[in-house]
Amino acid sequence: MDQQILTTILNDTFTVTQLKHRLVMLKSYLTKKLFGTSDETNLEQTDLNWLSSLGEAFYQKFTKDNVYQILNDLQTQTNQIVPLTIYLPFEVEQSSSAQIGSFARTSFNHPTLLLEVRYDPTLIAGCALSWKGIYRDYSLKAKIEDKKEEILTTFKSFLR
Amino acid sequence: MTELSNPLVLILSLVALLGFILYLWENNLRRRQSQQGQKMLETLHNSIQKSQDIVGQAELEGVKMLSDTRFQTAKLEQQYAAKLTEVVEQSKQAIAASQAQLVQFLQTLQSQSQQTQLNSQKAAEERINQMFGTLEQRLSDFLLQTSQKTTSSIELEVKSARALIESYKQQQMKLIDENIVAMMEETLNVVLGKKLSLKDQLDLVYEALEKAKVDKFII
Repeated sequence: MDQQILTTILNDTFTVTQLKHRLVMLKSYLTKKLFGTSDETNLEQTDLNWLSSLGEAFYQKFTKDNVYQILNDLQTQTNQIVPLTIYLPFEVEQSSSAQIGSFARTSFNHPTLLLEVRYDPTLIAGCALSWKGIYRDYSLKAKIEDKKEEILTTFKSFLR
Repeated sequence: MTELSNPLVLILSLVALLGFILYLWENNLRRRQSQQGQKMLETLHNSIQKSQDIVGQAELEGVKMLSDTRFQTAKLEQQYAAKLTEVVEQSKQAIAASQAQLVQFLQTLQSQSQQTQLNSQKAAEERINQMFGTLEQRLSDFLLQTSQKTTSSIELEVKSARALIESYKQQQMKLIDENIVAMMEETLNVVLGKKLSLKDQLDLVYEALEKAKVDKFII
């Protein structure tokens, strides 16, 4: 049952940061809903939209007896997820990261793939990826490095 | 008689008698002495006479002896001179012979010395020539080796210097190339960072993800 809950959460959650934020937010919401001890007025509209998008069936899985257990299990499962670290030369907003995450899940055929977005302005354009300790650069900087000799030859031809 | 009873007279008489006796004894003694002196004088005279005779005889004998002695001495001198002359002559002859032998010996010695000197000189010249030959050969070999070593060392130094220059040149060229690339990257970063839209950026990211998919980066 926890796996279904996590799958539902990951359905439109694409980054590790976003997942952690949403889990905290969900815990707060469920605590308020089940025990009436939390305040949801601090939540932003996008967060509220996401909470409402989960549907009533999703919340019926939580009771006063299992809510903390489920949340702890979710936290444990979340910690075990291996994210795909993506280095971007520009700063992205949540919508852009969602687009990239969705594209990545489709491309790699990995429905629950999570991204860990990091900012690296030296990449110029494109991105670099790191997966399970292996780093690979697909940015414009890497292309320039690959074509360095040709570029230098061309550049030097102008100097003569 | 009375007078004889007087001691004094008696004593004087005795003294006079004693004096008289002494006088007689003295007189007799003097006479004897005179006779003896006379006799002694005669004896002395005889003695002197004999002594003179003896002395004369002695002088005669002395003269005679002196004459003999002179004769013998002259004769002895003549014999001595003859003998001495003979000895001197023999000595002269011996000395002359010895001198001749010595001269001959010296000549022989000189000859041998000259021969030895010539031999030594010849041997020394040969040895010196040999030494000079060896020295010349060794010096030639040493100079040749030194020349070869120097040449080799210079070649190594030149080679090392060229390699160093080439290395420095390569490093500088590599540094320049890196600077060119870095400058180009920086320029592109500045230019594209401002020129590329979010959509363009996302398209490039998608392109990169597609390439990663082709590379099977995530299996």
